[in-house]
Amino acid sequence: MIRDSDIVFVDEPRLTAADRLYLPQVVMGLKTTFRHLFKKKVTLQYPEEKRPMRVENYRGVHRLNKDEKGRVACVACFMCETACPAHCIHIEGGEAPWPDREKYPIKFDIDELRCIYCGMCEEACPVDAIELTPEFSIVGLSREEMVFDKEKLLEMFDRTRELKPRKNPVITGYEYNTGGPIPPSDDQTEGLKAPGQPQR
Amino acid sequence: MPKIIIDGVEIQCRDKIPVLQAALEAGLNVPHYCYHPGLSIVASCRLCLMEMKMPDPKTKEMVWSPKLVPSCQTLVKEGMEVRFNSPAVIANRDKVMEYYLVNHPLDCPVCDQAGECYLQDYSFQFGKPYARTVDPKVKNPKKDIGSRTLLYQDRCVLCSRCVRFAQEVAGSGELCIVNRGDRAEIDVFPGMPLENKLQGNVVDLCPVGALLDKDFLFRQRVWFLNGTDSICRACSTGCAIRVDQNRNILYRLKPRYNPGVNEWWICDEGRFGWKFVHDERRITTPVVRRGAATETPPWDDLPVIIRQHLTAVVQKHGPASVAVQLSPEMACEEAWLLATFIRSIAPEASLALGDVQIVGQEEKFPFGATDGDVKFIIRPEKNPNRRGVEAVINGLGGNVISREDLAARAGKGEFKALWIAGGYPQPGWAGKPLIDAAGKVELLIVQDLFPGPLTEAARIVLPFCAWVEREGTFMNHAGKLQPFDRAIDPPEGAVRDGQYLYALAGHTGLYTGRRVREMMAKTMPEFGQLHVPPPVPEHQH
Repeated sequence: MIRDSDIVFVDEPRLTAADRLYLPQVVMGLKTTFRHLFKKKVTLQYPEEKRPMRVENYRGVHRLNKDEKGRVACVACFMCETACPAHCIHIEGGEAPWPDREKYPIKFDIDELRCIYCGMCEEACPVDAIELTPEFSIVGLSREEMVFDKEKLLEMFDRTRELKPRKNPVITGYEYNTGGPIPPSDDQTEGLKAPGQPQR
Repeated sequence: MPKIIIDGVEIQCRDKIPVLQAALEAGLNVPHYCYHPGLSIVASCRLCLMEMKMPDPKTKEMVWSPKLVPSCQTLVKEGMEVRFNSPAVIANRDKVMEYYLVNHPLDCPVCDQAGECYLQDYSFQFGKPYARTVDPKVKNPKKDIGSRTLLYQDRCVLCSRCVRFAQEVAGSGELCIVNRGDRAEIDVFPGMPLENKLQGNVVDLCPVGALLDKDFLFRQRVWFLNGTDSICRACSTGCAIRVDQNRNILYRLKPRYNPGVNEWWICDEGRFGWKFVHDERRITTPVVRRGAATETPPWDDLPVIIRQHLTAVVQKHGPASVAVQLSPEMACEEAWLLATFIRSIAPEASLALGDVQIVGQEEKFPFGATDGDVKFIIRPEKNPNRRGVEAVINGLGGNVISREDLAARAGKGEFKALWIAGGYPQPGWAGKPLIDAAGKVELLIVQDLFPGPLTEAARIVLPFCAWVEREGTFMNHAGKLQPFDRAIDPPEGAVRDGQYLYALAGHTGLYTGRRVREMMAKTMPEFGQLHVPPPVPEHQH
């Protein structure tokens, strides 16, 4: 509720003769312009020049990681599809053709036009199979072309593996049935030691 | 109605039930794996242990017993006092949960049970968030134990529900527990796989992801599924089921508790007999033939077209020249709407009940059970609503004939207009006399799921929707009127039978089973009484 005492009435300042002439103000403005003209430039000539980028946490086009044997790392658990706020991921799971794996994605489609690049899929993935790459300038001539299927997403991994290697160790990987406990990753123990530390 | 005290609160419960059941019915979340109201009690999972007041041997004073007792094996007794919230009980749950997880793999991402798994739920509610085990987990590969069932032994908690089910309800006893201790596992005898007709129930009974359905395997994560209460259409028993669908695609059927009808179980015939719903050959649009030309009129114009055709026949040949064959696949409401519509145009129209499919013999479970011990019956009558349609026909009265008479009289040319409702899941259900007779009538209107000789001969063809797309009631063999709800939309182009019959009968607005039942109950009071199973306690499984 606004009380009368909260209201401040402001009157327009009366213009002086110099103000009415406008010229002094024009000169003042030009002074600023010329000052910036000789300063260091902050703009970039975009396609030729590019801004430095933090590749490890840039949220660009998705990729589907491959494991050491070159197979798709995804186990078709649908966690990304569940977490996705834009409903742009569509998976079809099936029985894996490999003896050490239970399930794998027969189809894995991401509608890159519908995606909002929030990175929730990456966070939800229990095997770190889906990741966002620093790749952002993708083009397509049709909407269908922008629905990335499994092959295209695996190809994205090959294209970006040098730039952004698959760094995270598999925490809850499908290696569960090879026996032996899985040691906690370094990130996790650090997090436990110093809770509340801002992550950089 | 004894009164017992649980956690200091006095509750009233049914007589002669275990304390666990009483606690669940009172709304308590008591964890349990091995206890199931439909099976014998083994008290092997040790999760439901409670503290109970007993007389001290020396002072005869009522004190908390030093040892925990299984609540599933203790029957309620007037005035007994138990508790589930003491530190000893809570510590026991914690230890037992840890014990269950010693060898359980962390494969929830690929496990089909994830989302409806009681190992997940209980470990979240009563267990620890971490594991202390450092030893390698026992690896136990998956086993193919039956034509429809897979066993993932390393996920099993050995509650023995499946073993007891195979012995006590199915009666065939294919499953057993072999070995002891941490090597114990569920298995079948060599050369004798799990092949009884109720085997799908072991998957429902399994509280974890050890027993899985091959049909549903990897098809969908359960949290995407939406359930709708329905009634099984595979036989006249009328089992209560839940239809699980996501985005108009049916994924599975699950039984619902329905005492006196199917208890907790359904047979595999019903469970897996829904594949025709997504068959691509289905009729999805109405077709009107004028000579050799066919056209698909908009649904809004259809009532007028059908009325014109029927009125023309009635004006030419009289009000007794029309006959209707109602299908036992129709809901009571649809049969009533159709019959009253035809009678409104041709008051002397004959009504007949269509083909009732009888296959084999009545199958009683457990095998070789005498009448008193029968726990489940698969009936030979493979249509859900023979009795309901009969009730509608008898309730309306007038000219009622048998389907043999209908075919014979139509063959002789006594009927000039014939409306045949099909809707049987098998294409080609119609017998030769009916097909021959259908070729001779002037106006043939056929409602069916699949194209066949009848729809080829028909002047007007209307799509018949599968029961999961419709809404209404089925009356089972014992005369219980059970409502079923629509779970999915009909295929594109089709309209629910109830809806177009409602429009045909001259009503406007949305068809609902309740509206039509209210109209029916005015003349047929048996349609005012629905049989709806009682709710299951929230934490019972």
